[in-house]
Amino acid sequence: MSDVPILLEMRSITKEFPGVKALSDVNLVVRAGEVHAIVGENGAGKSTLMKVLSGVYPYGSYDGDIVYRGEVSRFGDIRASERAGIVIIHQELALIPHMSITENIFLGNEPRKNGAIDWKAANRQALELMARVGLREDPDTLIKDIGVGKQQLVEIAKAFAKNVKLLILDEPTAALNEDDSQHLLDLLRGFRERGITSIIISHKLNEIEAIADRITIIRDGHTIETLDVKGDGVDEDRIVRGMVGRELHSRFPDHEPKIGEVFFEVRDWTVRHPISAERLVAKHSNFVVRRGEIVGFAGLMGAGRTELAMSVFGRSYGVYESGTIYKDGKEIVLKTVADAIANGLAYVSEDRKAIGLNLLDDIKTSTTAAKLSKITHHGVIDEVEEYQAAEAYRQSLRIKTPTVDEGVNKLSGGNQQKVVLAKWMFTDPDLLILDEPTRGIDVGAKYEIYGIIQRLADQGKGVIVISSELPELIGLCDRIYTVSEGTITGEVARQDADPENLMKLMTSTKKMQTR
Amino acid sequence: MSRLKDLQKNLFGGTTSNARQFGMIFTLVAIVVLFQILTDGLTLRSDNLIALFQQNSYILILAIGMLMVIVAGHIDLSVGSIAAFTGIMVAKAMAEWNLPWPVGILFGLAIGALIGAWQGFWVAYIGVPAFIVTLAGMLLFRGGNQFIGNANTVPVPEGFRVIGSGFLPETGPDTGYNNLTLLLGLAAVIAIVWRELKGRRTRKEMNAEPIPMWISILRMVVMVGVIVFVTLRFASGRVGTSFPVSGIILAALVLAYSFYTRNTAGGRHIYAVGGNPRAAELSGVKLKRVNFYVMMNMSVLAALAGMIFVARSAASGPQDGNGWELDAIAAVFIGGAAVTGGIGTISGSIVGGLVMALLNNGLQLMGVGTDRVQIIKGLVLLLAVGLDVYNKRQGRFSIIGSITRSFHRDTPAVPTPSSGAEREPAKTTVAG
Amino acid sequence: MRKLLGKSMAVGAIALLALTACGSGRDGGSSGSDSGGSKGFAANSLIGVALPAKTSENWVLAGDLFTNGLKEAGFQPNVQYAGASTTVADQQAQITSMVTKGAKVIVIGATDAAQLSTQVAAAHQAGVKVIAYDRLILNTPDVDYYVAFDNFKVGQLQGQALLDGMKAKKPNGPYNIELFSGSPDDNNSKVFFDGAMSVLKPEIDKGNVVVASGQKDIKQTAIQGWKAEGAQARMDQLLTSTYGNKELDGVLSPNDTLARAILTSVKGAGKPIPVVSGQDSEVESVKSIVAGEQYMTINKDTRTLVKQTIDMVKALQAGNAPQVNDTTTYNNGAKVVDTFLLPPVAVTKANAAEAYANDPKLAPLTK
Repeated sequence: MSDVPILLEMRSITKEFPGVKALSDVNLVVRAGEVHAIVGENGAGKSTLMKVLSGVYPYGSYDGDIVYRGEVSRFGDIRASERAGIVIIHQELALIPHMSITENIFLGNEPRKNGAIDWKAANRQALELMARVGLREDPDTLIKDIGVGKQQLVEIAKAFAKNVKLLILDEPTAALNEDDSQHLLDLLRGFRERGITSIIISHKLNEIEAIADRITIIRDGHTIETLDVKGDGVDEDRIVRGMVGRELHSRFPDHEPKIGEVFFEVRDWTVRHPISAERLVAKHSNFVVRRGEIVGFAGLMGAGRTELAMSVFGRSYGVYESGTIYKDGKEIVLKTVADAIANGLAYVSEDRKAIGLNLLDDIKTSTTAAKLSKITHHGVIDEVEEYQAAEAYRQSLRIKTPTVDEGVNKLSGGNQQKVVLAKWMFTDPDLLILDEPTRGIDVGAKYEIYGIIQRLADQGKGVIVISSELPELIGLCDRIYTVSEGTITGEVARQDADPENLMKLMTSTKKMQTR
Repeated sequence: MSRLKDLQKNLFGGTTSNARQFGMIFTLVAIVVLFQILTDGLTLRSDNLIALFQQNSYILILAIGMLMVIVAGHIDLSVGSIAAFTGIMVAKAMAEWNLPWPVGILFGLAIGALIGAWQGFWVAYIGVPAFIVTLAGMLLFRGGNQFIGNANTVPVPEGFRVIGSGFLPETGPDTGYNNLTLLLGLAAVIAIVWRELKGRRTRKEMNAEPIPMWISILRMVVMVGVIVFVTLRFASGRVGTSFPVSGIILAALVLAYSFYTRNTAGGRHIYAVGGNPRAAELSGVKLKRVNFYVMMNMSVLAALAGMIFVARSAASGPQDGNGWELDAIAAVFIGGAAVTGGIGTISGSIVGGLVMALLNNGLQLMGVGTDRVQIIKGLVLLLAVGLDVYNKRQGRFSIIGSITRSFHRDTPAVPTPSSGAEREPAKTTVAG
Repeated sequence: MRKLLGKSMAVGAIALLALTACGSGRDGGSSGSDSGGSKGFAANSLIGVALPAKTSENWVLAGDLFTNGLKEAGFQPNVQYAGASTTVADQQAQITSMVTKGAKVIVIGATDAAQLSTQVAAAHQAGVKVIAYDRLILNTPDVDYYVAFDNFKVGQLQGQALLDGMKAKKPNGPYNIELFSGSPDDNNSKVFFDGAMSVLKPEIDKGNVVVASGQKDIKQTAIQGWKAEGAQARMDQLLTSTYGNKELDGVLSPNDTLARAILTSVKGAGKPIPVVSGQDSEVESVKSIVAGEQYMTINKDTRTLVKQTIDMVKALQAGNAPQVNDTTTYNNGAKVVDTFLLPPVAVTKANAAEAYANDPKLAPLTK
């Protein structure tokens, strides 16, 4: 095994962003002709590493060496790495919906004859490439008319058109159904037999175990270990141990919950999809929140957790169909976000950059943005009060910034998240809905954010935490609801929660029996 | 160096984006000085200053509305046509129905509000991009102007002309100046001193680092000096002239809208919507309502600008409003607004508009033909925005820095990693 | 708050003192309006000339002639054209700048004759004499002189030439014709049209001449901004709507630019070329006349008009009253303006060589 030539070696790669060290001294060795898996938690640095490799972060913006086919490579951009035969297929596919399969395969790489595109040759070559990836379609079909699984295959065919030597797949099966995933894994096996090397990044450990030859585990920007699947007798538990790397309780501050009465209740909540009206994104969901309680919403990607939360938050997602909300025993109707805020709800979005913050704002205006009325007197904003409020949060949440006049775009992810929390704490909410509150944040900041969440609960507020990381939910929440296909499928108390029973409920489609 | 930094940080305006304002005002002063020399002192003569304000007040009024439209992430191409349409409607109404002129002004503002509600409805509630809605409006109301006016020129009564070409009356004792202009200047001086003192007190209340006293004083002296100088210029024009009425309307609007955009929730919401509409919506901002009012407000200001122009021209004609949208948009972008929305200030846009106006005026005084004036203005627009974009990519703005940078080639702004010295430094700036 | 206001007031009061202390110095001002003209002014004074946008050869030529002629006469000329799109606002600003620069006389070829009264009034108050060149400035008592060709006569000549031309081609009527007129914001458009109609109307009434489209009103025939594309578009539409199976014998066009646009349209539709009138003796039109396409143009020799204007400026400089030959006809809505009218000449292929004999640019074309 060890005498198989080495195709790629990344040596002590270090990549820093303002305020965050995303990668530190990472090493990766990929042998020719193997399927190499890279695993790690969200934010561990897997994608950053691949961006370094593919030239998205050009040579010079990181420290360390990339040795590819025995030479030190200096890729200035993606095109340079593609010329060398390294092709990355991202989670979000880079296809143009209104172009045909052929046009997409050869986009930027069109076969030419006398300066004009030779469509005859292009179609012929496209058919060959499509045969190699097992895609049977008319090459003139538009991308928008084929399913996600087939789009994935088009991406791979596109990679072949670029004469790929090292294929990198970032979460290739995340959006695929069981059959499509299986087909893709078979395809990768076929590539291995033909000597094509691939790197696969995935959260689905069963798939990794099934296909990978070797696995490199990355945690918090460091390489932890590289496992040989056959030689080391690796199973999922072994991988998880490497990924998490420490006992769960140490990741969370100690906390003694002070849980009070039920004060918030949602009954029979049903919401339609905003565009395709026949789809229900929430189906007759029921849940309650008690004062002082941290409630988790667990579910797979696309299960409808965010949709459920946002539709409760002033109908900011989807089309309301039916359902009632009770707060302190009284029915409340929240038709707009303003209604929701006025009734003491706060929703901290999962995507703070896209929809949580105005990145052009400074910290103090971001802090007060959701409740300007609190500092407005006779129609005029009191700048002194605004400054003082923002300053108070800066100190209590320990936001790392010289002054609150600083722009939020200059902050690291964790500090931005604290600003978003400050913004919603400023609205004096009774119920905070936190959607993926620690996504993309490093471990230290996560710990602080857990502490803030616990303090909020101790103040008698209800907190709902939506998270894809089961350990986080198990470690933080007093009670966990599982969500699947828009329905609440189960409810698990903290002491009963473990990843297995949660996962079982998360993949069930049966509606939870009402207590 | 630290004094220089202090100065740059604190000399002009509030706490944010003052570096930009510094750059803008620096440019404006440079242009004034340049033309003052090139025209042998004609630029700052009272009659020229008066004419400058009269000629440009309507464009600057448009720039106020356009700034808010652009900050909210839209554009309005219809302002010239709306101005022309309102102008002809008001002129006709006064000529044929014998409307008294104050009623005529109200009538014109009502037309502007109506048109604005129409355009705002399409933009905010139907969701048609403002570019399309106002492109349609541009054709619609240009045609409307010619339909109503039969492409004729319709004169307006004497009283109405005051808003475009009127002056403050001569009252009180003979001081050798226009007394009311002096009073206006006095009010401005008091306002500036009061603002400075209040700003200092506010910072003290915030426990923020106080601005050095010498900077406060310097700033006051500079601004009071400018005001006194300008006041004297405007007050000492030919007898019967003063600070023009259209300039007073403009000044009032600038003050009101600056206050609105900076110090009220409604103003904040415009910036929030332009900066990140989804985030604004999830913070409880009523997106549609903000878009509706921003578009509507623009049309009302366009109507006002149209009436002021008609009043100045003494008649409403079919060529009114041609190309105004471009002048207003140029002013806003030269004044530092971002094409993508969310960034920009009223004062910046006014300065941007004044830069263009002074260029126009100075070149005309030098006898440069309109063909060449247009070429120069086009280049200035490109240069101003290009410099801004360039500076943003460099991660900072500093006129002083950009001057000194060219002298210190061996100390680049971005630290380069120690390894691989043969690389081009330009590539290190790619962001994560 | 009160303390703050008090402090501010104190500083303000000091500033006010500073203001009034260094007082006086206001320019005497009001004197200029009545006394300026009779005494004349320095021979090397600034003379402003504000012309419309450079959309027609004639304005460009006039500008050059003014620059050279005024220079020769010892004056400092300042000739400005309005911008292409923002014409009125540009011209207003240019006139104001000329006043600022101390021009003694301003010659104005107006873009919109009714929208300059404020600027003209300001000029007058500063003691500047205003001469309306070619287009009469309306609704203001502050215009001193008007110098132009006899535009009613131009229209008459155009109408008569149209009739003659059609008769030469086809001895007997009825003749089908179409009418075009100039920009509705140009005061002269109506004068041309009325002049032409004074000749054509009797024939139309007799049925000898037929406006086949029925569009006889000036509002229907006007071309906004004297724009060639406007005339071409209108002609295209007329040909499609009216002349599918009819013969078009003649077109009344108020000037050469429009005449050529009309001819382009007719040729594009593959129709026989009708008799088309014109005006201004533009180079391309003279070529067209010599080639037998456009039937006629009017020679309003820009040289004579500019020369006449400069003569007026010279008279004003010497303190004399300029020569005028019409003090009754041209009422601009506020007063009757003293006018000097020059006679226009109709030019067809027959007399082209003779008419342009003295024109260095046009004479070679007629040989």
